[in-house]
Amino acid sequence: MGDDIAFWWGYLTNGKHLSWYASVHYTLIAALLGGTCALFFGLGGAGLRRSRFAPFRLIGAGYINMVRGIPDVLFFLFFPLAFEQLVELIISQSACPPDVVATNAGTWPPCTAANWFLSSTEYLILAGVSLGIVYGAFTANVIAGAMNAVPMGQLEAGRAFGLTERQVFWRIHVRQMWVYALPGLSNCWLLLIKSTSLLSLLQIVDIVRWADRLGAPNFSRAAGLVHGDWRWGYYLALLLFFILLTFLSEKAFAALTRWAGKGMTLGSAAG
Amino acid sequence: MKKLLIAAAAALFALSSAASAQTIRIGTEGAYAPWNFVNDSGQLAGLDIDVMNELCKRAGLECTVIQTAWDTIIPNLNAGNYDVIAAGMSITDERRQSIDFTADYSPPEASAFMMQGGTTIDFNNIKGLRIGTQGGTIQSAYAEENLADGNTLISFDTADAALADLSAGNIDVILADHSYIMETVAGSGGALKNDGPRIPIGDGVGAGVRKADTELRDKLDTALAAAKADGTIDGLIKKWFPERGEGPFYPH
Amino acid sequence: MDLLAPILRDIELLARPALFNLYFALASIPAGFVLAIFLAMGKASANPLISRLSQGYIYAFRGSPFFIQLFMFYSVMLAFNQTVWKPWGIDWFVLHPLFLGPAILALNTTAYTAEIFYGALNTVPKGEIDAARAYGMSKGQTFRSVTWPHLIRIAWPAYTNEVVFLFHATALVYFTLPVIGDQKDLMNAAGALFERDYNAFLHFSVAAGYFLAISLAIFFVFGLIYRRLMRHMPQPPRVRFAPRWLG
Repeated sequence: MGDDIAFWWGYLTNGKHLSWYASVHYTLIAALLGGTCALFFGLGGAGLRRSRFAPFRLIGAGYINMVRGIPDVLFFLFFPLAFEQLVELIISQSACPPDVVATNAGTWPPCTAANWFLSSTEYLILAGVSLGIVYGAFTANVIAGAMNAVPMGQLEAGRAFGLTERQVFWRIHVRQMWVYALPGLSNCWLLLIKSTSLLSLLQIVDIVRWADRLGAPNFSRAAGLVHGDWRWGYYLALLLFFILLTFLSEKAFAALTRWAGKGMTLGSAAG
Repeated sequence: MKKLLIAAAAALFALSSAASAQTIRIGTEGAYAPWNFVNDSGQLAGLDIDVMNELCKRAGLECTVIQTAWDTIIPNLNAGNYDVIAAGMSITDERRQSIDFTADYSPPEASAFMMQGGTTIDFNNIKGLRIGTQGGTIQSAYAEENLADGNTLISFDTADAALADLSAGNIDVILADHSYIMETVAGSGGALKNDGPRIPIGDGVGAGVRKADTELRDKLDTALAAAKADGTIDGLIKKWFPERGEGPFYPH
Repeated sequence: MDLLAPILRDIELLARPALFNLYFALASIPAGFVLAIFLAMGKASANPLISRLSQGYIYAFRGSPFFIQLFMFYSVMLAFNQTVWKPWGIDWFVLHPLFLGPAILALNTTAYTAEIFYGALNTVPKGEIDAARAYGMSKGQTFRSVTWPHLIRIAWPAYTNEVVFLFHATALVYFTLPVIGDQKDLMNAAGALFERDYNAFLHFSVAAGYFLAISLAIFFVFGLIYRRLMRHMPQPPRVRFAPRWLG
């Protein structure tokens, strides 16, 4: 029995498995970067949506409704590729001689000097921004709704006290908006961390790709332990990991909601 | 505005490609033991990696190996994301249309069928079989052309996934490289076996380079010829493919 | 109009793959809908065991990514192949992506839909349920005449959203399950076209267009159903474009 435990302990902490555990940093960085970008895009989108200027409203509405029609995985795959092509296109304007471009007409990039090498780091950042754009649309919807939920009386009281429009906006409207937005934002965050499981589609060797490689059956003695198909076990571990992340996020958002609701008397809304 | 954009793009570009100006990047799959796989320490290892390390040493090049997916391995080479493909890739005329190959570092061999131990299949009349292959390989192309009639062809992302389905009995046979099959059968302890005809497809395994990189290809070819001549390549093949026999694989 | 020709060609090439996505969605919606009702009632049940189990199922499926659920269930089904599916002779069916994809989708959507239905269950006016009980209606009759009508009307907008998300999730099925023959869905087909000529903007935009069009169709159809469900409520005031004196 002790031998078994020693064996499994040794196996689950060998270099391969340690690399698997370490690759969780991709997931966490993508989630945090995506969340931050989503917040920025969300605030921007909500601002556009509620603007007095009709074209801005149209852009905001278009941005928010984009996610109602396009799957996040499609945008997630498309944005890094499109961004890379855009950058390479700009570079090829100056770095590529026209005759090379002509000979490479059907292929990409137009010349090898224009190629922008994307390692995992670059893909990770692009993935984070891409997630931010997609979930920014959700967030914009939530924040626009939350801005509407702040009671008019609060804003009027601010104006009655002689605060300027800017002060009313930032110190009262936005400050009180958070507690109404947090339930929706928590939902967006949970969807976002689940989307980070798609990082392996961008050639990033993240926890999902490692789980696939580690669990796949191996009958080559030279390659390591000979074993059958253990992928279900590794994927189960991933599922539990994400459920744990969900659990911790929910706890964190509950604490945040309590903090944001301090000093506010809330009628029928959150809290 | 346009100048600003170009400057910004160039800065982005320079930042990420500065360090890689002199190193040769080698792309491999990492899921096709014993050609290329991830070993117990989490490092890429296998015949492809050993051969490329040897060639880089002899040619005086600085090399790093990166892991990439098999299905986009050729487009990514042409796009410049790495400079050499060393992933157990067979030399074929079709692939020669988009990339160039060095000389082969594993002699031409046949493809073969692998099935569960204890099954009998009539190979004179291949019908009603579920045949698994890895997508984008010479075997999947062969199966599509010759075995599609009356059989179900299933393509998998990696060889390991096909192996999992075979072990579970979801497919009847796998068509793959003979050397890979022999190593897998040996390690399976009787659970899998090799049977049926040997089908010669492909002209040996070589390293892929972009068509424009003739200088790199020549450097690698010179180093390869030297390594074959003094028996290093033979030693590596024997090390990773004990089931393949004593050789000699290349005259030395 | 040189721009239009490749777009039209792509639309034609992606039409058949779009059917696969539609099939996955249509095959999993009914099962998900029915199971979700039972699961929601289970979560609201007085029996602590059933309530806990239902809560656990909903939490597990909503808290983990669908992408990984696909991988895991395929691997689990494979593990049972030799011992269960083959002896029963149904392995060709159970492991086929056209069955397994909708099955896992249904399991997933059951959890999300059950959560929506559970929230709606709590909004059913307690007074009406009490009145039904006072009238001597059985549990089944109460459900059919009081609970269900309220539940479906409150839940319908959120359920519409969930169905659209389900349709979006079908894009992931063929990333994880093996490809049999030349079956391809929208994402695979768009990806394959992209690999050939590196025109990301064209191929992915047309695929996005398909998703958008079908999503809008779902919103439209479900909107019609919602209007029919709410036909007993006062209509919102209509804008009259004709001046009154024209009648």
